[in-house]
Amino acid sequence: MNVEVAGVTRRFGRTQAVAGVDLEAGPGVLGLLGPNGAGKTSLLRMLATVIPPSSGRLRLLGRDPRGYARRREIRRRLGYLPQNLGYYPGFTVSEFVEYFALLKEMAPAQVPAAVAAAIERTGLADQARAKLRTLSGGMLRRAGIAQAIVNDPDLLLLDEPTAGLDPEQRVAFRALLRDLGQRATVIVSTHLVEDVGAACVQVALMDAGRIVFHGTPGELTARADGTDAAGDAPLERGYSAVLAAARAGAGARS
Amino acid sequence: MTAATAPPATPRAWRVPRPARPARLLRIELRRSPVLWMLPLLAVLFWLSAYRTAMSNPPFWTIRAAPLQANAMLAFAPLLAGVCAWAGSRDGRRGLVDLVGVTAVPRWAAQLAPWAAATIWAEALYLAGVAVVYGVTAHQGAWGGPLWWPVAVGVAMIAASCALGFAAGLLLASRFTAPLAALVVFLALAGGAFAIQDNVRYAQIWPLSVQGPFPAGSYGIFYPYLPDLAIAQVMFLAGLTAAALGAIGLPAAAGGRWLRGAAAAVTVAGLATAGTAVGLAGTARVTAHGIVIPALHDAASDRPVRYTPVCSRSGIPVCLQPAYRAYLPEVTAALGPVLSQLAGLPGAPVRVTQVAVTSVQSERENGIGFGGPVISGRPPVLYLPLSGMSLPGEGNVSAAQFTSDLRQLSGPQIVNDLVGLPSGAAVGTGVTSIDAVMGARHAAQVAVARALDQIMDLTQISAGSAARSGAGSVPPLARQEAAASRRFSALPAAVRHAWLVTHLTALRAGRITLSEIP
Repeated sequence: MNVEVAGVTRRFGRTQAVAGVDLEAGPGVLGLLGPNGAGKTSLLRMLATVIPPSSGRLRLLGRDPRGYARRREIRRRLGYLPQNLGYYPGFTVSEFVEYFALLKEMAPAQVPAAVAAAIERTGLADQARAKLRTLSGGMLRRAGIAQAIVNDPDLLLLDEPTAGLDPEQRVAFRALLRDLGQRATVIVSTHLVEDVGAACVQVALMDAGRIVFHGTPGELTARADGTDAAGDAPLERGYSAVLAAARAGAGARS
Repeated sequence: MTAATAPPATPRAWRVPRPARPARLLRIELRRSPVLWMLPLLAVLFWLSAYRTAMSNPPFWTIRAAPLQANAMLAFAPLLAGVCAWAGSRDGRRGLVDLVGVTAVPRWAAQLAPWAAATIWAEALYLAGVAVVYGVTAHQGAWGGPLWWPVAVGVAMIAASCALGFAAGLLLASRFTAPLAALVVFLALAGGAFAIQDNVRYAQIWPLSVQGPFPAGSYGIFYPYLPDLAIAQVMFLAGLTAAALGAIGLPAAAGGRWLRGAAAAVTVAGLATAGTAVGLAGTARVTAHGIVIPALHDAASDRPVRYTPVCSRSGIPVCLQPAYRAYLPEVTAALGPVLSQLAGLPGAPVRVTQVAVTSVQSERENGIGFGGPVISGRPPVLYLPLSGMSLPGEGNVSAAQFTSDLRQLSGPQIVNDLVGLPSGAAVGTGVTSIDAVMGARHAAQVAVARALDQIMDLTQISAGSAARSGAGSVPPLARQEAAASRRFSALPAAVRHAWLVTHLTALRAGRITLSEIP
């Protein structure tokens, strides 16, 4: 398994962002769904080694990220797109991607080809020499994805990757996700259930810091059967049904 | 809930990273460094602060080098600190902390690249400016060779101000950090500039001090430039640079335990180096050739520079150090009327030789007192220091102004020395510091000296009014002295000269009274 999470919690002061998550994931695209404040971003940041868990056990790519040397090994094979992508306005797309390729300690000889490939795969070839400050929000998002995939990561963590992308770009991006998921473990945090339906083989639904559902998109859709869950699409109704059931259960327990 | 997705694929072998290629990171940072955009402004500041100042002075290497350290740094350092703080706060301001924080290259190592890029651009511009100043100076035929120690201090100052600003920006990332860093560095430099005036020891570590209270041109000509203070300043600035760069490796996100330990060691070593430099500056002492720090002093620097003097073809030859070759006509013209009056008198100089400052007197607020000319030796030689004088071309000083100043400053002192008026120091060493206390014991000497001054149009004599003299104001002549002086100056030149030939030795010995003056 590329991702092994056992009993992981994360607190920020008095706030329990992640409240005991267990998750295992191998190669393939895993969609991480959930309402705002469910703990998706906190979980992704822990998986990206940005922050350590408050408790619990985490193994990424077969390594324990608590030690710096192991963490560094993981980071060489990690791709991460944060929810709020920062960028250097004066850098060109090409420089931005190359910069992260170098920071990920790619073999120097591979960097130029890898940068070109990442830019090509995200559809930014025509903007490779454009400064980031001149790009639209969607293009910036794609530049962020390009830096995430430039090292051909074994573990790719994408937080709201399709935010700001137009429909055509989203379709292309889903195809890219499916392609990346052939070999790597891709975890996509999103609000958009149609992205999950189109690109993910697995879905995990978080609510109040816990994973309340984990299965295939089809299984999530099936959860709506026999309920009057709200939603325009079958997957959305399954999403609503699971959340409603989880909250009802939580209410009953309390 | 526990769940599993698809079965794992065959894992890739863990890549063994090749050695990092900092040069490639640096290349990107060099292209995008904010200092690159500030270069035109820095160039203008260099031109205004250093180039114009240097070029408004005569072509002496020491005079041209001093603004490259003091003036340029006062203009550069605050701006650089601000720009580098801006560069250092980049990730924090741009929301990139998470993204760059999960890359494999230790943050400490990655963060050095933008600092290095900023520093390289600033250094390149500074060194280009230095090359222009020195190139012009060499083209103008300055004697000797360029001074590199002030430039070394400038280079170290640029690295230090950028490192301090960068560390501040990185550790306290905010849009206000950059202007605050610039302001703090400016205030620190300005405060240091005041401290330099009052303290000739510890405060001299401040990089605006080139050679303590010595004005440029008063050192590094007759004796080698003393690098003691510059070495301490470079040590101090290198220590600050190391401490600042080490500090950015201390946060937990900067790297692993080993790396952070190394960063802590670098920080401590930097602080220790800077502290040692301050301690060394505390042992500094002002000598005639510059500031000496015993622990850093090379005795070879105390050996005078060998040179062949350039001499005038006048009756009493005037010989100058070749750096002053261009001023030989003015010096000869300034001293000619004085020397011609004294020719043939017992003890009158047979030659004028320019000498270095051999004794200095520290004067609060006024810097250094260099003293004046003195006659000594057999045959008598007039030893003339020119250090501390404004030379033609320096500021608004014209050749005529210089000639007049030199005559008015040196003439009375030469006369004083000839008639045996007491002087502060250094008979036989080349410099007299005139702190003369003239009383009734020397009344006849004063009267004769002032008469000669008047004849040579050096002073105005009037009882009860101050008379001008070389190194300071002379007490007003008493009525009897003034009368004797007028009497003597009214004598025919031949009579006066004959009297001096026969009586000068006795006058010098204090055996002549006012009534004996014809």
